[in-house]
Amino acid sequence: MTPEGELQRTSRARRRLQQFPFCALEDPDKQPDAVDKPGTGNMAGNLTAGGSSLDEHHLTPASISSVEIHGATNTRRSLLDHAIKPLVAEGAHAGSTLGDVLERIGVAARKLSRFDIFKEEDFGCFISEAKASEDALPGDKKELDISFRVKEKSRLVFSAGTDFGNAEGSAYTNAVLRNIFGGAETLTVNASTGTRTRSAYNATFSAPINGNPDLRVALDGVRSSTQKPWASHDEHLTGGNIRFSWLTDKNETHTLAYSSVWRQLTGLAATASPTVRADAGDSLKSSIQHTYTRDRRDNPMLPQSGYLFRSVAELAGWGPLNGDVAFAKTEVETSGALPVSLPGVKGNTGISIGAGLRLGVLYPLVKGYSGAVQPSSINDRFQLGGPTDVRGFKLGGLGPHDGADSVGGDVFAAGSVNMLLPLPRSGADSPLRLQLFANGGRLVAMQNQRKRDSKLALDSNEVFKGVKSAVEELGNGLPSVAAGVGLVYAHPVARFELNFSLPLVLRKGEEGRKGLQVGVGLSFL
Amino acid sequence: MATAPPPKVRPPAPWGPFQIPKPLQQLFSHFPLRTLEPNDLPARSQYLTTSDLPTLYIFATEDDALLGLPSFNPTCLKYQTLLRCAGIQFRTLPSTNHASPTGSLPFLLPPRSGCSAAAVQPIPSSSLLAYTAKHSEKKKEQQQPSLREEAYLSLLTPLRNAFLYTLYLDEHYTPLLNNWYIFPSTSSVLVQKTLRFQLRQAAAASILSSQGQHPSAGREQIDREAIFAAAGEALRALEELLGESQTGYFFGRETPGEFDAGVFAYLFPMIRHFSDYPLGEMVRNAGKGGELVRFCERVKREAGWRNVV
Repeated sequence: MTPEGELQRTSRARRRLQQFPFCALEDPDKQPDAVDKPGTGNMAGNLTAGGSSLDEHHLTPASISSVEIHGATNTRRSLLDHAIKPLVAEGAHAGSTLGDVLERIGVAARKLSRFDIFKEEDFGCFISEAKASEDALPGDKKELDISFRVKEKSRLVFSAGTDFGNAEGSAYTNAVLRNIFGGAETLTVNASTGTRTRSAYNATFSAPINGNPDLRVALDGVRSSTQKPWASHDEHLTGGNIRFSWLTDKNETHTLAYSSVWRQLTGLAATASPTVRADAGDSLKSSIQHTYTRDRRDNPMLPQSGYLFRSVAELAGWGPLNGDVAFAKTEVETSGALPVSLPGVKGNTGISIGAGLRLGVLYPLVKGYSGAVQPSSINDRFQLGGPTDVRGFKLGGLGPHDGADSVGGDVFAAGSVNMLLPLPRSGADSPLRLQLFANGGRLVAMQNQRKRDSKLALDSNEVFKGVKSAVEELGNGLPSVAAGVGLVYAHPVARFELNFSLPLVLRKGEEGRKGLQVGVGLSFL
Repeated sequence: MATAPPPKVRPPAPWGPFQIPKPLQQLFSHFPLRTLEPNDLPARSQYLTTSDLPTLYIFATEDDALLGLPSFNPTCLKYQTLLRCAGIQFRTLPSTNHASPTGSLPFLLPPRSGCSAAAVQPIPSSSLLAYTAKHSEKKKEQQQPSLREEAYLSLLTPLRNAFLYTLYLDEHYTPLLNNWYIFPSTSSVLVQKTLRFQLRQAAAASILSSQGQHPSAGREQIDREAIFAAAGEALRALEELLGESQTGYFFGRETPGEFDAGVFAYLFPMIRHFSDYPLGEMVRNAGKGGELVRFCERVKREAGWRNVV
């Protein structure tokens, strides 16, 4: 039927139609091969458009006669069915109006585009009035043929480039195999090396579950070697994980993952501290992790209004999980921004006030089903400080230090307040801002409440007391604080900050950073 | 044991400060406005790295280390024996080669105390002899090894090869290898397999290179009979050498020296752990018989391990 490929005729159903004001309306007598006419471009975008002419027709009864998809040569019929079936579902027939039909078409189009296998710019939807069946009353019932026209993205993509993030620059090569079995499955293979990453290899296979683009399963294999200069060692990781991620109706994302990673802490610097030496060696972490994100910010790189809430909970080594380390770890992050209006200035001033708070606790647990509890080791504890979290401190600059090494803590709290001001010449719409900030935090390690030199392992009562007193210690005295001023540039790919900061309060051993500090990353405190 | 792949020791990262102009320096000198007491070190770190006694990190099980029992690793046992014979008080903790400044155990951490302990540098095994001489409670004869002693050190190489072969390449002793080096590292079966494979490769390479072959020649190139024949030769030579010395220790020493500790560190584990299979038997029967075993008993007594069987 269509010259460029297979035509998938999903269904035929009776629907009412009067007019279709904003999609390409074909002459009713024309056959579906007329889809070559210019379409509407981005379907998902256009369906939300529409002017007053739309309102008039919104309530008129509508009918879908057929749905066709052109150009999905390598895509399985069953996958497309999942997106298209709701258009013609039995339950949706009664009293259906044009508005309802458009709504459903929009949902289907967005669903198709979320599979990430079709090119955005070539995505089109064409609607033509179907030839009225012979027993239909003229003027009362016109049927509608709907035709999606898609172009599949390349199935194999190679790329290479450079990346910046979390105080590290790297170069990578990447290969993506898309839509491997025609069900929107993706295989990504990635190799990179960088200023801190000596080498990293990563392979991810991901596929939608039950044809739902918002529910995906991913299998991930990783092998990497990373420098940890703040604690004088390298960490080698070899492992894999399986992840389920889904998007709720309220646009919140959940990820549930099981991961098993062999960690080798090695390559110690000659000056490595005794604490790092004591934790060197092998361990296997077997854990389940849940991540929840609710992002209501207007712009994640330069939030002017809205809020973000994220929580991460991890359970390792406990019960059937086994492995060499056992703990429960949870971290909560929330941040928000409010636009500031000025008297006499209409609209967006580009001025905003923001605040962020992060909290985390690591609670050591019994490994397996019974026995004693081992206190946490350095690769499981939290690190705090650096240009993307508590600015004005070196990477891992807060918390317990053994010599020059930041050895991490089991409990932390960090907060920041900042004010973003547009630069005089660039205005409110530019991605450039002047930033004033103050931020601080505490990172505390759990102590053994018992007197020394008996055994390393603790019983559960001692662990509880230890964690409790560590939490209490958070509020003991002023937090370590730094303040400063800087420039923010919000590139769509990452946020860049150049700050001048000075530490106001810190603890002996903690490493503040006086003067300039550059921050590049996706997520800032 | 030198067979595990030694982790690379790299120089510290270039993390140093840069030059700053004077006025800024003056501003900077006012900050931070307040400096509070340091954060306490984590519980694990405090237990493993702070003590009023020096800590010797060795290959051992946690329980054995707590009781100060002899290490099963010859290099660790050598220095453990030397320190004990010198009357130095210290505690032992289990560790891994990854932790050591030289890439292989043992190493010693000087005493440090307090929740936020001062930074101390570990003492690698190469400096332990000097440390022992400096801190020894007993006034002793010159501990520096003579040229003659150094020449005889080559007798230890065949013993080492036989030890490595028995522990790593003889399937009969796989359970022992597991208990000593594999199980303490991880509970994961896959990781255990990988580590065991790596250790065996390293042991084979070490034996091959000491026999003048290319380290990657492959395990099939190792001649088991030749290894044990050479070990037997070395044991007979040691027994003879010991007989020449009238004192019960090598080279006429009154108390065990480095050479004695080095020989003991191979012989004792052989008698203790490989008793049912060639090595233990060979040690017991070397030369006129029994002299090497009695030597081990003497060193044990001197090191305060009277009750260790």
